[in-house]
This record gives sequence, structure tokens and C-alpha cells, in this order.
Amino acid sequence: MSWRPRRSLALLTLALGAVAAGLVRGDVYQEPDAFVAEVFGSKPAAKVLWLTKDLQMQAAAILGHPPTQLRQRYWSDSHKSVWILEEIGKEELITAGFVVVDGRIDHVRVLVYRESRGQEVRYPSFLKQFKEAKLARGDRLDREIDGIAGATLSVAAMERMARLALFFDRTGRE
Amino acid sequence: MKESTLALALAAAFAAAPAFGQATVDQKLQILQQEIDDLKAQARKAPPTQPSAQLSWDYSSPLDRSLGLGSGGTNITGYGEVAYSKFRQSGNATADLQRLVFGFNHRFDERLSFHSEIEIEHAVVSSVDNGEMAVEQAWLNYKVSDAANVKGGLFLIPLGILNETHEPPTYYGVMRNQVETRIIPTTWRELGAGVHGVVSEGLRYDAGITTNFDSGKLDERTTGIRSAHQEGQEASARNLAVYGALNYRRPGLLVGGGVFTGNTGQNGVSNSVLKGVSARLTLWDVHTQYRLGRLDLQALYAAGTLGDAGKVTAAILAAAPTPADAFAAPRTLKGGYVQAAYHVYKLRNFDVAPFVRYERIDIKQQEDPANGLLQDPNNIERIKTFGVNFWVHPQVVLKADIQRYATDKSQDRFSLGLGFMF
Repeated sequence: MSWRPRRSLALLTLALGAVAAGLVRGDVYQEPDAFVAEVFGSKPAAKVLWLTKDLQMQAAAILGHPPTQLRQRYWSDSHKSVWILEEIGKEELITAGFVVVDGRIDHVRVLVYRESRGQEVRYPSFLKQFKEAKLARGDRLDREIDGIAGATLSVAAMERMARLALFFDRTGRE
Repeated sequence: MKESTLALALAAAFAAAPAFGQATVDQKLQILQQEIDDLKAQARKAPPTQPSAQLSWDYSSPLDRSLGLGSGGTNITGYGEVAYSKFRQSGNATADLQRLVFGFNHRFDERLSFHSEIEIEHAVVSSVDNGEMAVEQAWLNYKVSDAANVKGGLFLIPLGILNETHEPPTYYGVMRNQVETRIIPTTWRELGAGVHGVVSEGLRYDAGITTNFDSGKLDERTTGIRSAHQEGQEASARNLAVYGALNYRRPGLLVGGGVFTGNTGQNGVSNSVLKGVSARLTLWDVHTQYRLGRLDLQALYAAGTLGDAGKVTAAILAAAPTPADAFAAPRTLKGGYVQAAYHVYKLRNFDVAPFVRYERIDIKQQEDPANGLLQDPNNIERIKTFGVNFWVHPQVVLKADIQRYATDKSQDRFSLGLGFMF
């Protein structure tokens, strides 16, 4: 193919058209506050789980690295708790909300996804795998989560956060 | 200002402590937390002191912005692999740090980001060694939404599975498969511009315009079009190429394909015999991955054609130092593989999966019998690979395999490997 300015201009126009068609901000899918309010009907007061040395060590065993936070905010009532967590996928942080009911994950939502690839982790076909998941021996999930080709590290980050949410829920109720 | 306000709030909260009567320490801490949250909310509502700081707090990390990753920052990624191979026919063995790759990535703001990978192959780079250092990727991405991203720079062409996802823990076998080495020339990158995004649940598109191969640079006889790649190195850009790819992903499933096409004659800038010759190259592929329980299945078929192959053969002959160095240009390229693996043992981070892979490669050359340039038998190849991947961590893998070549038996080998990514 020789260099043809008109053809290149047409391609550029096509590209800009595609961009214009996508002029909907998709990075922040839902604000964390709105997620909490949706779960409880209204946003209850936040509670705080202080990560003592012992909890930090257990969280590190789940994450594979020390937790970055010294306290974890959460929201709960007598049955369910909500945890907004963050982990790095390949290059950047993924923010996800986890709703835990009676020690099992009720539902998960990706709230903010910052990477340029791997957005497939935010779709229901992936997230529904976590429904009813609970912690098994060694603080692992009681099931295997099928990965997504090309999004290995984002999938692993979501699984680590799910385990941490269940662990925090268990700890918060002890 | 913020600190002093916070200090006042803390002091006020402690001063007010007796009013809570028998409040527990936990309750007090919750109140303090609420105070801090309220102050943060007020701070967010306050007018920004600098326009440049007006980034969406929602986009930045709400939990720990000290990392600087939410609204700006640089991070490093990487992968690498070490391989040991013992060849059956010669009895020789080699050990090699095949590649060590570092990625440097930077986010300018919530939409604009930079991605790069610098690769060092074979450990040592010098004029008397076989090592090579190269920029594998260096591109900017502007994200309008999930459905619309625009990118520009040196980036990977979205053909096949391995070209875009080639970190060692993500594929089976010590060596990369030959189909995605000789038909799709992984790691294949071009300079250009493109658009990409996810348009519905799991359906990703890629399209763009890039530099192309330069047929005048062909200098290897059994690797298809690979040796004509330009890799962003003062690339001849008289002839460009266009590409497009569609991939559908669901958990455990990938189905996709892509096409890349454009002229490669480059008006004879590298080889005057090709002046005015189109030498159009078209490469395409279809591929799938499917996970059924513990069974991993994967298949790929790739094919292509090089136009004016007779003229390209003449150009190779004209440029060869001696007739013995010349060879017939590739005319059609076809290849495919099927692969199956089974995760026989999984415990904590440990994961053991034996696998088998069968590959076929058919590269037909444009023969020139008058000058003794005939089809190379090694371009018709069948390869069987039997091995095992042992992940000691999801990002660290040990590998072992045996490979049997039907034609070029000097390549039969036993290999051990170590790979990682972060």
C-alpha cells in the first residue's frame, strides 16, 4: 500500500468517529459511595477494621504483599458487609466492591478500572463466578475462578481481593 | 492548611471525649474516622488551588493516594525466561537467558498513559556477542472510554495469541511455538496509530495503520517473512499497512482473528530490484482458547501470501554476497497448531499441568531452478511437543519438555525452563 493522503485522512476520520462514538466515560463505572448506598438503600456510617500486626500478616499471606492500608473502612449490618478494596492488576490499581452475606460473597462489582487492557473482568460473565464463594482451607476460595485470556494479572488481583473481603468479613464479626 | 484543620478536628474530637460517657475506644475511633471523612469531603468540594490538580478524585485511588498510581505515576513491570536445551542428534547443550524485559509505564492523567518494554536477549549485548537490546513497545494510549482508545507509537500487532501475550507463565512449553514464530513473527511490532476498545461484553476490536515489512531486507530462508521486519528502526515507510482484529473473551474462552495487509516493496529503497514492485503481504489468523474444568485447549491457524515473490527472489539473489547465500522468497505461508493441557495438581500457589502440542508449518517458496534456488525442505515441518508447566506461583513457572521435529531432526531436544513476570 503506497502512502495516500486521502486514504489516510479517511482512516483518521474513521478513528475519530470511533472515538466520538465512545464519548462516554467508562473508567469509573460506579462511585464507591453510590455502591455502598445501593447495597444498603442508604449509606450507613462506616466502620473501621484496624489492621493489627497479626491481621497485617494474615492479609499479606492472602495478597502476596503487605497491605497498604493500616485500617480498612467497611459498612455492615447484622448479615452483610461491604468492602471497597484495591489491588494492582498489571500496571494499575483496580477498585472493586465486594458484598459479603453470611460469610459468602453475594456480589462483586468493578468500580474503577484504570488499565488499557483487561476490562473484561468487569463484566457479569466473569464476576458471577464469585457468587456464593466462601473461604476454604488456607483462606483460599472454595472454587476455581476461570481466567480471561490476556487479563491474567487482573483476574488474579480480583481473586485476591475476594479472598481478602471474606477474610475481613470474618475478622470483623469475631 | 489541611493539616492544621485536621489537627483542630482531632483536638476537638479528643476534647469532646468525656461527652461520650462510656464510649469505647472503637467508637471514638469511628467518630474520628467520620470526622476525617467529613474533612476530606469538604476539601474535595473546595476550589482547586491549581487547575492542573483538578483531577477526578473518583478516578484516583480512594484508599491510598500516596502511591500516586491513581492520578499519575510511573510503574515498572517485567518478565524473563531462562532455558536449557540438550539436542538429541548432536548431543550438544545450551543454556541461555533468552530474554529479560522491563516495562516502564506512566500515567499522565486519567485518560493519557504511556507503555513501553525494553528487551535484552541472550544476556550480553556487544559487537562480538549474540545479544540484542531492543525497544519492544513504546506507545501512548488515550482512553476516551472502554469502547474507544486511540494509540500511537511502536506497538504490538494484534495477530495470534502469543504476539500480544507472551510472558512465560502465560504459555506452555520452554520455547515459544514455531507457528507464532515463523508464520506470525512474534514479537511483531510496528510504528503507527490505531484504535481499540471493548464494544460489548467481551468483544474487543483493534484497527490501525502502521509501517510494514521491507521485502528487500529478507535474509533468512526458513522463517517466512520474519527477517524483513523493521521494528521501528529507521523503517522504510513508503508502503504502509492496515490491520484489524476481533477477539471475543469470556471466562475460560477466547475466540478471535486478525488480518494485516500492505505492500512491502518500499520502492526498492533496500534493494533496487524491488523499485516499483508492490510485493503485497497479507497475513491473517484465527485462534481459540477454551478451558473446560481443568482441561486447557488451544488452537490457531495462520496463513499469508507475498505477492511478486518471483521478483523478491530475484532481489535476494542480486543482494546475496555469493549464490550460495541466496534463497527463494516465501510465496505462501500456512501453519497451525493444536494444544491440550490438564491441571493434574493444584494446591495453594502450586499448579502442575502436563501438555501436548502438535504444529504444522508449510512455507512455500517461489523457486528459481535456473539459479538453483529451490524449496527448502525445512520449510515443511511438523513438530510434536510433550511437556509440563509447574507454576510455583501464578507469576513464576518451571517448565520441561521434549520436542520432535519431523524434517529438521537437528532441532530435536529436551528443554528445561524458568520463567517469571511481574
